[in-house]
Amino acid sequence: MDAIVRMTGVTKVYGEGDAATHALRGVDLVLARGDFAAMAGPSGSGKSTLLNLIGALDHPTAGTVEVDGRDLATLTGSQLSRLRRDRIGFVFQSFNLVPVLTAFENAEYVLVLQGVPARERRQRVRAMLADVGLGGLEHRFPRELSGGQQQRVAIARAIVAEPALVLADEPTANVDSATGAALLELMHGLHESKRTTFLFSTHDRAVMERAERLIRLHDGRVVADGPPQDVLDGS
Amino acid sequence: MTVRIAWRSLWRHRRRTLITIASIGLGLGLVILFVSLAEGTYTRLVEDAVRMQAGHVTVEHADYRDAPEVHLRIAGVGAMRAAIEALPEVESTKLLVLGQGLVRSSAGAVGVAVMGVEPEVEVTTSPLARRLVAGRYLDAGDVPRVVVGRVLAERLGLAPGRKLVLATNDASGAMVEALFRVEGVFETGAEEVDGYLLQAPIAPVRRLYGLGADEATALGVVLRDPDTLERAVRDVRRIVTTPSAAVRPWQEVLPEVAAFIRLDRTSDGTYQGILLFLVLCTIFNTILMSVLERTREFAVLLAIGTAPGQLAGQLVLESAFLGLLGCGAGLLLGGGLAWLVQVYGIDLTRFYEHGMTISGFALSTRLHARPTLRILATLAGLVFSATILVSLWPARRATQVDLAEVLR
Repeated sequence: MDAIVRMTGVTKVYGEGDAATHALRGVDLVLARGDFAAMAGPSGSGKSTLLNLIGALDHPTAGTVEVDGRDLATLTGSQLSRLRRDRIGFVFQSFNLVPVLTAFENAEYVLVLQGVPARERRQRVRAMLADVGLGGLEHRFPRELSGGQQQRVAIARAIVAEPALVLADEPTANVDSATGAALLELMHGLHESKRTTFLFSTHDRAVMERAERLIRLHDGRVVADGPPQDVLDGS
Repeated sequence: MTVRIAWRSLWRHRRRTLITIASIGLGLGLVILFVSLAEGTYTRLVEDAVRMQAGHVTVEHADYRDAPEVHLRIAGVGAMRAAIEALPEVESTKLLVLGQGLVRSSAGAVGVAVMGVEPEVEVTTSPLARRLVAGRYLDAGDVPRVVVGRVLAERLGLAPGRKLVLATNDASGAMVEALFRVEGVFETGAEEVDGYLLQAPIAPVRRLYGLGADEATALGVVLRDPDTLERAVRDVRRIVTTPSAAVRPWQEVLPEVAAFIRLDRTSDGTYQGILLFLVLCTIFNTILMSVLERTREFAVLLAIGTAPGQLAGQLVLESAFLGLLGCGAGLLLGGGLAWLVQVYGIDLTRFYEHGMTISGFALSTRLHARPTLRILATLAGLVFSATILVSLWPARRATQVDLAEVLR
């Protein structure tokens, strides 16, 4: 299997001594290239921690995390920045767009960081915004967009640089169910067309059912991993 | 993109940004005004003092500073003067014979400082020649006439046309005296000058003190631009090679004036430093608030691949914009006010009815600012650099956010 993410014996402990909280306990997980996977579990089960570790936003207390064949523990700060910029796309629960940039500029931002020439940038961003259904809204600022539209911009920002992996933390949590379903279809369509690997953390049953693989976490451990229907039936 | 984010971020809190720009502008503007005013005062003081005395650069006997006696004179002043006047930075030169003596009139006797001058030169260079309250200034030529200060004239009952006897010791130490007639009475406002100084044409004074026609106590050099002083001193030193002669800048000839300016600059600098410090606190507060309230945004930018240095650069750029706008406002305000004070002056006569004197030199009670390009550039550069400097710590702090914690 061609793995994009490989986690081996990953443990994450917050705090020390009596105040120590085990967010992850010896997790082994492999994510294959082209996976469209969701992580489910109750609050505090370790979903966000796992996403943070894969996204190189945090370090494990023990164990190794490899992304795209590279052990994150061996990379410097600037190498981690480049890895996030070039190989990973992030979609956050609360959109997290830059408020002083328009929809177009938000989506364009990572391409600017990558040094993509202006003409190519314009073409790719226009096409991407059209793909996510925001054609004609390019010059609006985030405050002028609805929650669903902002999340579409966030998805466009995460996808436009064609990363190997997109990490989406509760992407449908702050939008209504119809918008959530549309966003899910949008991401699935992108997955289909570009074979981008997606990993969601979610409480949303619709997301779990739409995923091609469902990983269930409980108390920092992977307790189930397989086709969504099997995992859901098992719970 | 970094420039765009920095510029637009500046205007997220328009009122706060405008208040900060106004603070920088007001602080810088006031400092520019105060420094220009002080500079104008110093320039006027120095110009009046050096033009009334022995110029911006003085050639005199090497031992004269230690014991200012009339026998310590320089010779060959004619050739020396011709060579010095050929220097491009020199406006004019003046010969002085300086001594002391006792003036007697029918009303009494008073010790005086005697200044033998070239009236035709003094008329164009010395402010004293324009401050007559009675009679007129000296004419060129070998005539035994004097101008005296108003206080001295009152003490001795002197007025234009009246006679006085000047008694002194000549260069050889012998007692000598001569009769002079008062041509005019001057008033500088400084009692040390008005009650003590007597000016007469150089020829009869030379004769009185027993100096030769090519000798003088001092050869004063008046410069076109006081800022060329260092170069002028070097050039004059190349010309004056006599071992017994010394070439001195005005600061050595008028040490009390130089000391006053140094002291005044230091105390002014302290007050201005405090004012700028308070302005910098405002800037720091604005930048820090701006950073603290955008922690999540910075975390997102770092998470999606912005290099920490790039993010810090964006924040420093925001401060640079703030500094540029503030300095622009300050330059307009301070430069404009200083220009007005340069043209119209500030009249302090109400507060100083009896005039102002500094180190024995009268100062005009109408103050004029001197806002030079150097003052504007230095102060604006200082404030701008300080603005950048105070943004470094908040910028660094912004790049050190705990991504996982902030994005949780």
